[in-house]
Amino acid sequence: MGPTDNIAQWIIGFILVLSSLGVIVSKKPVHSSLSFLLTLLALACLYLQLSASFIAIMQILVYAGAILVIFMFVVVLFQDAYLKIEKTLPKSNRLFLIATTLAFVIGVGFLGRSLFGLSSPETTLTAGYGSVQALGHALYLDFFFPFEAVILIFLVAIVGALYIGRKAV
Amino acid sequence: MNLSLFVFISIAMFGIGIIGVLTRRNALIYFLSIELMLNAANLLFVGFAQEWANQTGLVWVFFVLVVAAAEAAVGLAIVITQFRSREVVDVDQYNELKG
Repeated sequence: MGPTDNIAQWIIGFILVLSSLGVIVSKKPVHSSLSFLLTLLALACLYLQLSASFIAIMQILVYAGAILVIFMFVVVLFQDAYLKIEKTLPKSNRLFLIATTLAFVIGVGFLGRSLFGLSSPETTLTAGYGSVQALGHALYLDFFFPFEAVILIFLVAIVGALYIGRKAV
Repeated sequence: MNLSLFVFISIAMFGIGIIGVLTRRNALIYFLSIELMLNAANLLFVGFAQEWANQTGLVWVFFVLVVAAAEAAVGLAIVITQFRSREVVDVDQYNELKG
């Protein structure tokens, strides 16, 4: 790990925080989705820096390729519906938001001191760390039951989505 | 490897996600904020997995990805149903989620 890697990580981290701010700041859902796409790509770069190549590719394929496309379809469906939101007043209390932000800042302030300058353990990565082979080995041998459970979750979610989204008969 | 950097980026992303959920009323941006929080957790998993040279964290990232996809599918189905029947995308108006 040379010093250039560190600078690259800082730059990617900066892009990451800025683009995730863009997700919640922009008014149009399309702009939010595009900022989220930038966030996902920056995260994939960071995963590559952390030698998790398979996860980086999965991130781009599953998140940017599948989930964000579904979002885009819904954005297209809604068109100008977001303009209606400003016409009604929010029901929530602003005080709660301020209290939450204060609690978060105080919490990070207290925890952050111990998180700063974390020393990393002296470990060396095994050959093939983060590769498809290694992850598949872990997934099918050590984590077989959770893997099957996750398949069941996904099946139930898809059936549920179809059931919720059906036209009333 | 700068571990603190990843921890702080993750905290920042999670905090931005929380603030998005609390402040935005557009259902789509609401969902994107939830995805931001899931991604912050993923970043921590990957960072610490690399730090301890243990691939278990990467396997859990895989599971989080699947749960995020399932959540997006069900959540967007609810949003579309609400939009079809009442033409709203404002989460403040989602107070009639009965059958």
